[in-house]
Amino acid sequence: MKSVLLTELATFLDAVAGEMDLYVPKQAGEHYVFTRYDRKAGGPAEFNTVRTCVPVKEFLFPLRELAATSAASDKPPDVKPFAVFGLKDCDLRSLEVLDKVFAGDEFLDPFYSKRRQAMFVITGDCTEAGESCFCSVFGGKPFAEKGFDLNLSAVDDGFIVDSGSDKGRGFLERHKDLFGKVPDKAIAQRQENRRKVQADLDANNRLKAGMPLRDVVEQAQESEVFDSEAAGCIECQACTRVCPTCHCFYLYDSKQKDYFTKTKIWDSCMRLGYAAVAGGANPRKILGDRMRHRMLHKFVYFFDRYGLHMCVGCGRCVDADAGGMDIRRILLKLSQQVREKGAKTAESVK
Amino acid sequence: MNDNPYKPVDAEIVDIVDESPTIKTFVVRPSEPVGFKTGQFVELTLPGEGEAPFTPSSSPTRSDIMDITVMNVGRMTGLLHQCGKGQPVGIRGPYGNGYPVEQFAGKHVYIVGGGVGLAPIRSLFLTLVERIKHFKSVVCRYGAKTPADFIYKKSLFGGWPEIDGVDISLTVDQPDGDWNGPVGVVTSILKKDDVYIKDAAAVVCGPPVMMKFATLKLLEFGFEPRQIYLSMEKNMSCGIGKCGHCMIGKYYVCKDGPVFTYEQIMKYPDIWD
Repeated sequence: MKSVLLTELATFLDAVAGEMDLYVPKQAGEHYVFTRYDRKAGGPAEFNTVRTCVPVKEFLFPLRELAATSAASDKPPDVKPFAVFGLKDCDLRSLEVLDKVFAGDEFLDPFYSKRRQAMFVITGDCTEAGESCFCSVFGGKPFAEKGFDLNLSAVDDGFIVDSGSDKGRGFLERHKDLFGKVPDKAIAQRQENRRKVQADLDANNRLKAGMPLRDVVEQAQESEVFDSEAAGCIECQACTRVCPTCHCFYLYDSKQKDYFTKTKIWDSCMRLGYAAVAGGANPRKILGDRMRHRMLHKFVYFFDRYGLHMCVGCGRCVDADAGGMDIRRILLKLSQQVREKGAKTAESVK
Repeated sequence: MNDNPYKPVDAEIVDIVDESPTIKTFVVRPSEPVGFKTGQFVELTLPGEGEAPFTPSSSPTRSDIMDITVMNVGRMTGLLHQCGKGQPVGIRGPYGNGYPVEQFAGKHVYIVGGGVGLAPIRSLFLTLVERIKHFKSVVCRYGAKTPADFIYKKSLFGGWPEIDGVDISLTVDQPDGDWNGPVGVVTSILKKDDVYIKDAAAVVCGPPVMMKFATLKLLEFGFEPRQIYLSMEKNMSCGIGKCGHCMIGKYYVCKDGPVFTYEQIMKYPDIWD
């Protein structure tokens, strides 16, 4: 991977926006959201310190999208290339999860797949550890190593830019006059930045990297923690909306003036009627049962099926939740229970 | 070929059979053949209104038409029951695994059904009797609420019991004046020596509570969990293992099922709810 130095962020963003639609992070209150980059207005050009508030899935699997119509001419629309700047390592790992579901088996979701192919992924190193960030528990890092087209690392002299794909290399080649040589001290500084943010991240978290969370959640599935934690939940479903890996949707039929449509619309497993069937049966009438299912899906079922956790430790659900739900606290309580139970069993065996 | 899995194939309701006060069979003709394996399901769209999963009740040897037997239990099924002949509909699928008929070869097939659960079983039954000599026997135990609630009455009381190698018994929860058969839930007519268990596969389909108690009874008789095949009913929206609604543990009922052995799913919570 050849690194180059960029001194002015705006010149880089202008170059990207000259080739395709570009979405960039913009500070909104205490969070970042994505907005369309306006080249003429020259901005906004911010380098987000941590991940955005909204998940990257919105670009690939929007809240609602037309999935089919009865019109004879109906076919999935072509997608123009577009770029998203300001993604973080946790976002890339959420893409791995979504790729498994929508682009990884015999049934390809044509809408997701087309957008995914059209997306130019530009990541950036995290320059601080967010309060709710716990990506390191899942082997995540505050900087991306693979899965991006281009990655930017902020240093005193500007940004170190790395390419991670042919698309990225092609871009650097086309715009080589924007970039210079990376001074050795910048490489050293990046290393130090990365080490520091990683250390902050580890220090922030009581959950430790490499915890066997799959086994913890499976062994604790009878725990009363799900019910006691659910007592504070106000069922706003914000956790599943902002989650970058949650991908439940409902296929909804409707009538237009002279044709019919099917629309994919985000759904949430925390919703009461989510799993109910027409005959009236509902396997998860109790909120605690829905929370248990959500945790089992994320940490056990998805893992058993696809070999990775359906959680990247981005902490968006922690930030979003009005009821004070904290997935880290739930995992911690479950792991404590499993540990205590293990200790008791060991004692009784003695 | 349709490369959008969310887009149905156009179809039309060409005939309707009243099966019981709450159940109708719709004969559906798709605009292009929809081949299916017995036990697989399709998503039937009522354009602009919704769609719901049904396992065709007809034999898979015909791909130009399929029978879809529907009990009026909710919004979609209620709307379907108001439809007449000529109603345009849509079909997505077939989806799921279907019954592993090849694994039943050389065995007794012990079928336990309840209510509208006979719909998928009819398709299986028709598949089995087409090559009945491949199986040691086909034993069917079926229960309905009242005699009026039996579906496929003509076959049930006429043709099927006459077939060599087939043994059918019926029961009702509430008899009427003309009923002189057994009274009780379907588990009450299951007998340990109905089939030679070591050499049998059991197939269970019906309302969840019936499936639960039938499974428990079969286990009590000595069936192994891997010998019991269950047609699971869950909320299935996309049909292709993505939308999440139908999960049982790590399985998507729509993609990995709807037929599971009890062994596959017994460790997961909520399977009977």
